Amino acid sequence: MDAVTPTRPARLRLRALVWAGLTGLLIGSGVECRAQAEPAAGEHAVKAAFLYRFAGYVDWPASAFAGAAAPLTIGVVGAEPLRTELQEVVRGRVVADRSVEVRKLAPGEPLAGVHILFLGRAEAGRVGALRSWLQDAPVLIVTEADGALAQGSMINFVVLDRRVRFEIALDAAEKHGLRLSSRLLAVAQKVTGGTP
Amino acid sequence: MRRGGGPGRRAAGIAALLCGLAAASAPAADAPARGLADLSLEELADIEVTSVSRRAERLGEAAASIFVVTNEMIRRAGVASLAEALRLAPNLQVARIDAAQYAISARGFNNAIGNKLLVLIDGRTVYAPYFSGVVWDQQDVLLEDVERIEVISGPGATLWGANAVNGVINVITRAAADTQGSLAVFGGGNRDALLAGRHGGTLGTTGHWRAYAKLVRLENTRTASGGAVADGWERQQIGFRADWGDAQGGFTLQGDAYRGRAEHRGLLGPFELRPVEVAGANLLARWTRRAADGSDLRVQAYLDHTERDDAVLYRPTVDMVDLEFQHGMPLGAHRLLWGGGYRRARDDIQPGLFFGFVPPQRTLAWKNLFVQGEIALNEGLELTLGTKFEHNGYTGTEVLPGARLAWKPSRAHFAWAALSRAVRAPARLDRDLRLPPTPPFFIAGGPDFVSEVANVVELGYRAQPSTTLTYSATLFHHHWDKLRSGQLPPDAQVQNMIAGSTHGAEAWASWQPTPGWRLSAGLTTLRKKLHLEPGSADPVGPSNLGNDPTHQWVLRSAFNLPRRQELDIAVRGVGALPEPAVPAYTATDLRWGWRLRDGLELSLAVQDLFDAGHPEFGAPADRSEIGRRVALRLRWTP
Repeated sequence: MDAVTPTRPARLRLRALVWAGLTGLLIGSGVECRAQAEPAAGEHAVKAAFLYRFAGYVDWPASAFAGAAAPLTIGVVGAEPLRTELQEVVRGRVVADRSVEVRKLAPGEPLAGVHILFLGRAEAGRVGALRSWLQDAPVLIVTEADGALAQGSMINFVVLDRRVRFEIALDAAEKHGLRLSSRLLAVAQKVTGGTP
Repeated sequence: MRRGGGPGRRAAGIAALLCGLAAASAPAADAPARGLADLSLEELADIEVTSVSRRAERLGEAAASIFVVTNEMIRRAGVASLAEALRLAPNLQVARIDAAQYAISARGFNNAIGNKLLVLIDGRTVYAPYFSGVVWDQQDVLLEDVERIEVISGPGATLWGANAVNGVINVITRAAADTQGSLAVFGGGNRDALLAGRHGGTLGTTGHWRAYAKLVRLENTRTASGGAVADGWERQQIGFRADWGDAQGGFTLQGDAYRGRAEHRGLLGPFELRPVEVAGANLLARWTRRAADGSDLRVQAYLDHTERDDAVLYRPTVDMVDLEFQHGMPLGAHRLLWGGGYRRARDDIQPGLFFGFVPPQRTLAWKNLFVQGEIALNEGLELTLGTKFEHNGYTGTEVLPGARLAWKPSRAHFAWAALSRAVRAPARLDRDLRLPPTPPFFIAGGPDFVSEVANVVELGYRAQPSTTLTYSATLFHHHWDKLRSGQLPPDAQVQNMIAGSTHGAEAWASWQPTPGWRLSAGLTTLRKKLHLEPGSADPVGPSNLGNDPTHQWVLRSAFNLPRRQELDIAVRGVGALPEPAVPAYTATDLRWGWRLRDGLELSLAVQDLFDAGHPEFGAPADRSEIGRRVALRLRWTP
């Protein structure tokens, strides 16, 4: 150790104190600034809200419902946190005079009575099997996996710049007898297949 | 980030609506999602989201050089270990020392005992406290269950604490709810074999669990002259994770246990070198709570036990307990985050053939408090100021302040600047090391060793000019003081007499020309200007502090072929290392994947296709050659 060294810790401590004082001061003054709340929410919550809202912009063929009083059913696979949120969203709500039900589904389970199927990220590996699972049932398939539209999904969530957006494969939906409103298409980040 | 004009007003409206709803409904738990369902499609599409882990999301928009390795990228790289997966981050330098050991760093100072990087797995710090570095052959995870790996190059000391000097690696595994059902992975090839399984199920109405087991065997490497290196490695690891709760809060309990063993290394004269044997176990509990007013609370505690028997170097056993909490709350347009932590490590480091620690047993404690404020200055301009006070038993309280300014002129562009001070606090290795373990000593510890200090300036820019193109660029300058130096033996003491600076750039981009084809590229450069301070009698100088390339680059292509097949190609280049000299190398990696049917994937990965062997680290005499790896893998989710 040479003679220069002993002065260093002292200098360091002084600089540290200045830093600390400065930081405290700035944070203290920052708190007083104008208030403006930030619209932020969980990704699951936003997607759950979208899933519920989608139902209002899709026309199913009459055959999709067992009767006039049959509920509109949203099946969820591999997205438990989202299903919990969705259950809260739909409680007591009505779409086109139908109550809305949320059902937890296992991959491959029969889709009778299901109108919207959401395939969560945990089961993204099964996107490729959608066509064989669905066959030609009038079910709106919603996913959250890159490239899912090419594999049979109809609406795919994408998070862009921290906002939940969605892309639509119009031809896939029409092939299953679903009609999507132009309003839905207008909000979509991208629409493939068919002429909107 | 604030927005201008119409969207800004709408955002304020939505916020008011949300706040109103939150206040009006007594069970706050169901407020946010129900409130959102009343918004129009357009309004929903304009809401900023935070992910499940708030801190992680802040990093995603953070004014820092951050690269995120996703689960999908890991799967498509065909790698078998955590260390290999880290090669996917362009802002890390990963050099394989032998079959199981790695030197991994960001922004230089790479070394087998590198000590300027903080590594966390699900919030648990995995560096060994006796040398403030990571023993990579003791760290692994089931890669299939990794959600993402956040790699932050540059100092993260204000939030993460001492040792987050040159970067933070944050490995985040998926929630148990996202890993339900079974998974089996069988892999094998010329360099390694892998057998892994996982099963997940539910616990009551709000809980989920998973458990996994992973067996890995690594073949031994060879030197350039063809001699076998006794580094073949076998490792068994089991673990579990259970989560309870919902979006408003939850409880997580997780743990892992592992054992690893290398080959027998024979004799050195009369000394039996024995195989390196390692073992460890950890148990972590975390409780989170998110209130309707936007505040959140996180409390975490863990126990961690590690042991390593290396007859050549030294034989540490460490027991650590770590407690921490953090509380975030909105203050109008701003946000305040504060928290604290306490860690205690008790170790017993028995001497090896070359090194000993005096005293052999020691208990050290670290305490910290931090506060950080995110201050909205203006439309699109946000200032983050924070400081951490960390107390350690060697140097007392270290102050780690940082200031970050983020400017978001539009949704597609993000510019930032940061000033930070970070330190690498002394570890047992700096203070208590002896070479050899008994007198007379060549190295006799470092009783006067104090913290190494970095003052860092960074400038960065990120953009997403279209939905298919993103890029990021960062310039950095680190000013270093009191870096570790040595003296002439005998009785050399570890000192702090190297100073200087490092600077460089980090850049990467990703472009998706078609839905089934993604191209990405990365480049980092580094210049080091380090010198011995006058009066130092260090015979070696700065080259002891790491052996770094001046540049490295990577190009990747991920292509989806018809019939559920995938083709991945990567070409990566690493510049020459100066001292000891390691030649530059370029490696080409290929992977072909085929989803035979739902839930069954077959893949063939060839790493370093054109090269039978090249060294990545170490001195020529006995260093390992790392070369072509061919691995076939079957991944089954019944």
